[in-house]
Amino acid sequence: MEKEIIELYTDADMERMGLHVRRWRRILLAVAAVGLSVCIALAASTDTLNAPRMELATIAVSTVAGWFIIYKWVFTLSPARHELAHAEMLRREERERFEGTVKLTDEQFKIRKSVPVRRVIVTNGEVESRLLVCASRAEALEGLDEAVLYACHGYVAAYNEVTG
Amino acid sequence: MKVLKNILSQLHSFVLWLLASAVFWGWIFTLVTDTSPAKKVTIYCDVPAVEDRLLAAELEKDMPEGLRMVQVHAFNYVMLDTASFDKGDIFIVPASEDTDLLMDLLPLGEGGPTKAYDAASGKGAATEYIQYTDEDYYIYLGSGSVHLDDGAALDVAQTLLELP
Repeated sequence: MEKEIIELYTDADMERMGLHVRRWRRILLAVAAVGLSVCIALAASTDTLNAPRMELATIAVSTVAGWFIIYKWVFTLSPARHELAHAEMLRREERERFEGTVKLTDEQFKIRKSVPVRRVIVTNGEVESRLLVCASRAEALEGLDEAVLYACHGYVAAYNEVTG
Repeated sequence: MKVLKNILSQLHSFVLWLLASAVFWGWIFTLVTDTSPAKKVTIYCDVPAVEDRLLAAELEKDMPEGLRMVQVHAFNYVMLDTASFDKGDIFIVPASEDTDLLMDLLPLGEGGPTKAYDAASGKGAATEYIQYTDEDYYIYLGSGSVHLDDGAALDVAQTLLELP
């Protein structure tokens, strides 16, 4: 007997992910604005005596602010944005149904260069379907045995457990 | 450990940003700390060492109207053929100076060259800032100076001669 379909990305999840992306975008913009303002203030307060010190301080501020932005952009904002876009695609597009024994493997890699995904294998008799699930949602499939997975373009979007 | 791994994976971006930052702010500070020959008086000293920024800051305290800055450079023979050297306003040169260079220099007044440093007495202009050698030094105006007509070069030279 099939239980109720469980979405990997609920409305609440989408809202939370959108908020996360917007918050980090604002933080990085604020760091850029503050960093640039400090650099301009340092350059504007330069005189003959303090010029070398001010130049060094400006380069230091600009460099550290830039490094923070690069780090957070690459490892926080960009993966969050890509996962959000991926989740929107999973909720929007038409799904395919895969029924059988579910096995979540340890094979993990990144799509769009930033979103980690894990391999899921669904076996139904002789037929083996190889799907992917976002690593952040893979936990939901852990311990599943017989189940129906719903996937878009090979990515798991929802599931329901089959019992009895 | 994860942070370190992330940083190493983006090391090229961090290094590139550091270089871009240094080049960009270096260029901005060149603009901030320099100006056109019409708005500055440039002093070249053929001496072993000069406290260039301290001396420039001291001279800027009593700067003729219309000037933005005073620049002081230790004399370097590599500069001989450069356009900025040709437009130098004030030159402090030792008595043993090459006569070819002296052909492009003008005395401050009509009574011949003015002594900037007297080796016999050890007294001279701005000795707190300029390290003279054991010979007499003379002060001249550059024939290519743009401040001959407005008198700014002569004013700064006279201020320089009065500095302890």
